[in-house]
Amino acid sequence: MTSGYKRVSGDAVEYEVFARKSRVDALHLVGSVVAPDDDLAMAYARATYDEERWCEMAIVRKEHVIELWQPGEA
Amino acid sequence: MIKSGELIESTNEMTPEYLRELKHTLIVSGDTELISAPAYYLAAKRAPSINAFMTGIAIIQDELAHAHIAYHILEELGEDQEKLIFSRDPKSFRYPYAFDVPLDSWTELVVANGFYDQAGFCLLGDIHDKCSYGPWKRGLNKVMLEENFHLRNGRTWMKRISAAGGAAKDELQRAVDWMFPLSVEWFGLPDSKKMHSTQLEYRLKGLTNDELRQWWLSTVVPFCEQIGVKVPSHKETRDGKDVWELDYPFPCEFDAEAKRWDFQQPITWDDVLGRWRARGPRNAEMVAMFQEEFHNFRKTHKRDS
Repeated sequence: MTSGYKRVSGDAVEYEVFARKSRVDALHLVGSVVAPDDDLAMAYARATYDEERWCEMAIVRKEHVIELWQPGEA
Repeated sequence: MIKSGELIESTNEMTPEYLRELKHTLIVSGDTELISAPAYYLAAKRAPSINAFMTGIAIIQDELAHAHIAYHILEELGEDQEKLIFSRDPKSFRYPYAFDVPLDSWTELVVANGFYDQAGFCLLGDIHDKCSYGPWKRGLNKVMLEENFHLRNGRTWMKRISAAGGAAKDELQRAVDWMFPLSVEWFGLPDSKKMHSTQLEYRLKGLTNDELRQWWLSTVVPFCEQIGVKVPSHKETRDGKDVWELDYPFPCEFDAEAKRWDFQQPITWDDVLGRWRARGPRNAEMVAMFQEEFHNFRKTHKRDS
């Protein structure tokens, strides 16, 4: 899986975007963005995934996610 | 795995043919969302109020996010997103021909929201429902929510313009007259001409072209009749089922410059495919709108470093 991306403005990495609509929901994956740094990744996440009034949103660098196993491997 | 309804999650689980077909379907989807941005923007500039303009801009922002979702999945499948968007020849973009015909007024923009976004809603709703590729199926959650809002904007305005009557209603009817058959064409060749669909076989979509076209007609025709706008289609009941019939030869001749259909002039599907491949009046201008700035930026950036 690729973690580094080339953009016209330079190198960029992928961030996973998590959000939830209300306090009773669990945080879940809503999508991802590719950005050169955390600040721009936050801006992209907020602008791209604006389909709900989320009560919480968080982003994680994809390379920081530690995979135990994937579908088909369990 | 596909037949049992399971989802494919990574390239390791795909055959080369599945990957090729998935990429092709994603390119059509990404290109369609992307091109709707300049097409809608050129018309949104004619908005009758600041509020209406802001709604137009919000819709464009949604469409760009939808394009981003499709192109990003392509990127994860090994394609270069910047090359796909900024370095392709305008004629090689794979979006429906309808977008190449200029939307020149706010009225035409809201009919596009009512007709084209409804077509997008049917096509993507089917993919959202049936698609065998997990990341795309989930990515479409957001897309479906937002397409619904675009559709509502189109319908609310069409109803308002029709109720206003007079010249406003005449303009609405003229827009519907050329945009309705273009949207009917959107769903592609009839099932009788298209014997085999790899997309259906791989469950990249669930409904055939004609089934999708019927779904679109079943939502658009009653709505238009309800607001007093004439459309060349009517309902028939066959074997206890509602079937929407077109009141003109399908396909038939279209003059893109004059935005006029000649219902007396039936043509062949080869003629239609030829028109689609040649692209329409606004293709190059719209693609240049997003490609030019990218290349300017790259030139400036190179000079600086």
